[in-house]
Amino acid sequence: MGIVDFHSVSFSYDGRKAALDNLGISIEPGAFLAVLGGNGSGKSTFAKHINALLVPDRGTVEVLGRPTADPACTYFIRSNAGMVFQNPDDQIVAGKVEDEVAFGPENLGLPPDELRRRVTEALGKVGLAGFEQSQTHELSGGQKQRVAVAGVLAMEPQILILDEASAMLDPQGREGLMALCRTLHDGGFTIVMVTHFMDQAAACDRVAVLHEGSLALDGTPEEVLTDGAALEHLELDSPFAVQLCRKLQAQGVPVETCLGEGELIAQLQALLGADAEPVRCSKPAEPSAIQTAVPASAPEPLLTFQNVSFSYEPSPSKAEAATDDAAGDGWGNRPDEPWALRDVSFSLNQGEFLAIAGHTGSGKSTLMQLAGGLLQPAAGTVRLQGRDLADKRAAAEARHSVGMVFQYPERQLFAATVADDVAFGPRNLGLSEDEVDRRVQEALERVHLSYRDLKDKSPFALSGGQQRRVAVAGVLAMEPQTLILDEPTAGLDPRSHDRLLALIEDLHRTQGLTVVMVSHNMDDIGALADRVLVLNRGRIFASGDPLAVFSDAAGLEAIGLGIPRTYRVALALGLEADFDRIPAIGDVARAVAARHRQGL
Amino acid sequence: MGGKALFGRYWKADSPLHRLDPRTKLLGTLALVVIVFLAQNFLALGFVALAIACLFPLGRIPLSQALRSIAPLSFIIAITALFNLFFVQGGAPLADWGWLRISEAGMRSALFIGLRLTLLLLSGSLLTLTTPSLDITEALERLLAPLGRWGFPAHEFAFVMGLALRFLPQFTDEFRDIRTAQVARGANLATSPFRSGPAALASLIVPLFASVFRHADTLSAAMDARCYHGSQGRTRLRPLAFGARDRWAALALAALAAATVALSML
Repeated sequence: MGIVDFHSVSFSYDGRKAALDNLGISIEPGAFLAVLGGNGSGKSTFAKHINALLVPDRGTVEVLGRPTADPACTYFIRSNAGMVFQNPDDQIVAGKVEDEVAFGPENLGLPPDELRRRVTEALGKVGLAGFEQSQTHELSGGQKQRVAVAGVLAMEPQILILDEASAMLDPQGREGLMALCRTLHDGGFTIVMVTHFMDQAAACDRVAVLHEGSLALDGTPEEVLTDGAALEHLELDSPFAVQLCRKLQAQGVPVETCLGEGELIAQLQALLGADAEPVRCSKPAEPSAIQTAVPASAPEPLLTFQNVSFSYEPSPSKAEAATDDAAGDGWGNRPDEPWALRDVSFSLNQGEFLAIAGHTGSGKSTLMQLAGGLLQPAAGTVRLQGRDLADKRAAAEARHSVGMVFQYPERQLFAATVADDVAFGPRNLGLSEDEVDRRVQEALERVHLSYRDLKDKSPFALSGGQQRRVAVAGVLAMEPQTLILDEPTAGLDPRSHDRLLALIEDLHRTQGLTVVMVSHNMDDIGALADRVLVLNRGRIFASGDPLAVFSDAAGLEAIGLGIPRTYRVALALGLEADFDRIPAIGDVARAVAARHRQGL
Repeated sequence: MGGKALFGRYWKADSPLHRLDPRTKLLGTLALVVIVFLAQNFLALGFVALAIACLFPLGRIPLSQALRSIAPLSFIIAITALFNLFFVQGGAPLADWGWLRISEAGMRSALFIGLRLTLLLLSGSLLTLTTPSLDITEALERLLAPLGRWGFPAHEFAFVMGLALRFLPQFTDEFRDIRTAQVARGANLATSPFRSGPAALASLIVPLFASVFRHADTLSAAMDARCYHGSQGRTRLRPLAFGARDRWAALALAALAAATVALSML
């Protein structure tokens, strides 16, 4: 008998469509289980059953030998199977960290001495010792999720359930949370991790894949995640290393399919022999000052930033003096950073695809609002087509020629129908209804949505990926020449992610838009950008050609950023000279195959 | 956001006042308000002013912070004082511009009311400067608990207040983001949102409400998952307990009240 047992469990939210369909699974004590599945596969419903938030319509769920359907066991089960949810902002109850962590055990009715001990211990375990008095809303996303984990640990459970708990975090926060789970698991916890990140699943001990409410695959990561055909059928991708292995095998390179990137690199290094140089990751990038200065002879750029600084504080220099020595708590972003942007200069050319990289709090969103004329710099000038945006009329016009897609843009949807929502911008421009209609139709087509099918639907009835497309259409309906996107793929599942990325590429390549994409996903940047600007704590850290910028892997890692995975492999194998742009996964496979043939 | 001079802001420090039970501070503030009204002449009011002035150093609160905390409401003091200055007549006239006269009684009354209002605001700010909002809600819950006998949901009332305080900064941020996004789509919200038509107004309010409901859904699940089931059997990390310090505070307030009444009768 396992610590959690599902016996032919069926459950439906509406009495018609089954969310869980005759599901049977047993989780052994001390397991580190990843639960995968596409949208609507029932993986969240599964997680809520373990915590007795939902009880089965048919069948039984037993946690630590007790049935979840028995109301007398509810609090025993909930305190022993703690749950962390997706959105860090939704699950925090208290304003102060210690009150938040104490909330669960307080409900269990423990005496104050014991509460204090548990709060201290739980915060220590998640690496937030000393944060007791902090305000929860001032923490970063990653820190908030750690507080949420601490709130669960304080109930001293045996099982920890994470329901896509890292989906809304940046890579740094995601890795931190994964490492924390690993440590807790080594300390004896049973961990159930619902996720849609394949690489996270590869790091677990057991993988279960749900499909339409039933168990489709179950086994070790090696068994489940290397079965490309089966995963494809279940609307899932393979982990990166498996994809690359398969491409290599297709090129005739004799590699064994493996899950880990490190393992694959070791295989390839052995295969390519002494020719290939070992890891050579730290070619320094060009000094950024030279790269970023606007060359006098170049054609007039579309957008220029000249020594721009911006601060949300009234007297930033004083605040800076006060906080400068408190730098670097290992989590990257500090909410009290006095300068949101400091002395930033760069230019954007017509038709270019510029990526702005940096983690949360590095000043990316501020930069974006300055470019759109929504904020005014404290120092320096922002020019759009030669006109200073400090001028109010120029700023107002900038809002028409620069389209801004903010983070989670679907959260701005408001109208009763999709058509009305997309029409909001054009109507604000005072256009005739005919023109508005034409633009709405065109905008929806541009994001590959059907005007006829969707125009009368409520935007709130669409799927997450579709909602985001509608929001992008709402910006495109303003017919901007430049599109600025802030983390356009954040929080999407892998399929919607790929589709949206393809859409952005299409807007740039085929539809001719100048694009600025703010992102912390280096793979996305590597795939699309002509040029990269890396921000760190409000300053430009590096800028230039993606190949040059990403060659400084060590420097980027020091500020908590990675590099595209394909390029990481190429660098490790000494293949970087073979590429004139960041390679796609097929390019790497071909280059390795060519080297391999040479070596034979 | 900056949050510079808000009435109701907490001043982080470790002082005898900070360490008082929040219930004592809540009731003590009420007592101070009563005492201020008990003072009937300048002598008594001056004495109360002196006592309140001593409380700020006792709470390790700099004078500037104390004054800044009531600055946003100082216009109330100014208007009330001016009203009294011009409309209360009697005694020797001090100035006379025909239709506008200031009499001795008016001057006295303006000073008296102005001082009284200042002291009332300072007493209120003393509570919020020395007590975190969560403690105030808990004190309120405990003081209202006896009303539960007549069906008043004291715990729920206080808990909802606590949640509101927790979500306030978050909704402020979200509202700002929504506003920025709609301005970027050409909404003319720069002047007044109420003059820019129903569509622009809806473009701000609907997303905010959608967000509130989204948060509420998960929040209730997250609370359930952590065994929340109302106040029954629930303990607190920092339980409220009256101590010697609270008894001294009560005694001091009683003495202050007695002295004020005595001085008022002189």
